[in-house]
Amino acid sequence: MHQPLALQPLASNSATDILAIANNPVLWICVAGVFGVIIIQSAIFMKAARRAAPSVEMSSQDIKTSFRSGAVSAIGPSLAVSLVAIALLGLFGAPAVLSRIGLIGSAAYDVSAAGIAAGSMGAKLGDASYTQSVFAVAFFAMSIGGAMWMLATLILTPLLRKGDAKIRSVNPAAMAIVPAAALIGAFSCLGLTELPKSWIHVLSFLVSAAVMGLCLLLANKLGKSWLREWGLGFSIVIGLGAAFFAAGA
Amino acid sequence: MTSTTSAAITPTTGTAMAEFNRTTSRWGQITMIAGLLISVAGPLYLVFASGLDIGPAQLWIAFAAVAATFGIIWIVEPLTYFPILGPAAMYQAFMIGNISNKLLPAALIAQTNIGAKPGSKRAELAAVVAICGAAVVHLTSLAVFVGLLGSWLISVIPPSVLTVTRLYVLPTVLGAVLVQAIVSMKQPRTTVFALLVSAVVVFVVLPMVPSLAMVSTAIAVLGTILLAWFFRGKQVAAAKPIHIE
Repeated sequence: MHQPLALQPLASNSATDILAIANNPVLWICVAGVFGVIIIQSAIFMKAARRAAPSVEMSSQDIKTSFRSGAVSAIGPSLAVSLVAIALLGLFGAPAVLSRIGLIGSAAYDVSAAGIAAGSMGAKLGDASYTQSVFAVAFFAMSIGGAMWMLATLILTPLLRKGDAKIRSVNPAAMAIVPAAALIGAFSCLGLTELPKSWIHVLSFLVSAAVMGLCLLLANKLGKSWLREWGLGFSIVIGLGAAFFAAGA
Repeated sequence: MTSTTSAAITPTTGTAMAEFNRTTSRWGQITMIAGLLISVAGPLYLVFASGLDIGPAQLWIAFAAVAATFGIIWIVEPLTYFPILGPAAMYQAFMIGNISNKLLPAALIAQTNIGAKPGSKRAELAAVVAICGAAVVHLTSLAVFVGLLGSWLISVIPPSVLTVTRLYVLPTVLGAVLVQAIVSMKQPRTTVFALLVSAVVVFVVLPMVPSLAMVSTAIAVLGTILLAWFFRGKQVAAAKPIHIE
């Protein structure tokens, strides 16, 4: 990872000096570590798959085709995620964005976790109350949230592999209703919490929501699934554009 | 945990697939634990070693607030993805992230392209290999576009644009994500409850009791779950993977 020295002078201009600590070299080392772990995992899994392939009548050409199909189909979504990540750079700095939004987590959960953590300290992300300490706690909250996902995966995968009857027999109605309710409840509360902050917050929220609605509608009507992937990126950029003009007006 | 892996090897599975299961299970766990520790090490270093005045109590409160909001999702998501991904790809997917919008399509396209039947051993291997391919593309595009290009971009854009971004990026993310969640869950009844409860919490309860701000999201989540459960419809959609990217 390169050293983002260019960020240092800029950070001192801002009221809250987030980017100064957000680009701490130790955080860059951790990002490189996560990248490294994923590369090592992919290499081990590729080797294991190659070795097992002949036994299930999978040729080396099939392996090559699968790898290439996966790579090609990931180009669009990866660029879409990169756009969202770039939009969040100013708020969290590159190391946190790369490890949280780019990898392990996702924009929706991690931005929410950061917002909740900031709220638990009586602060708001991005404004004058967003101090270095708030950033550190928010980054911790995002990371520990991602860690819980991995912990659940580590515990549940071996159990599910054994076909544990207890887990499979969870009430299907509860499985359909409770998670969806938790998700919509969380995001609607987090979203509405933004509204009383200022009229520009309301405008940004509404513009972004409308763009996402339009993207999903067009994706459905025209059968263009790439619109679904790019929806979040488009919404953020257009919503921020509206906020920029409103703030300047 | 490794002791459980041998249980998956059924007599019908060839030794080669058994070896594959053993390797991916052992190394999946090792790499995931490593990823978990490294990803938490960064913020812990900031909190405790960079001279910021943060007590453990603040961390616990923040963790509790996030757990109260997303705790259910942490458990439900791996449960719903397991049948689609299979055990090996679970360890890849939950570390790389962006499962539903990137990894699942990648796996499906690969399976189609080599004509692998869903649920077969070939399909399982194809998914693992396709996710490896997707990971290579994803890591490269992140390093180039976010790590290099993004850092450069931040250094050249005017401070006024950066300020606007920081102030208003949160409502733009949440506005879009809320619409995404509502549309992809397709549960109008639950949506109405969620919006109602959240509106009451944000516009009525919080102005009266500002100290509840810390747990407002948790209250909304709990309220929505209870209402959605007690007033659930006769026929209920089948449980499906829930994931918002």
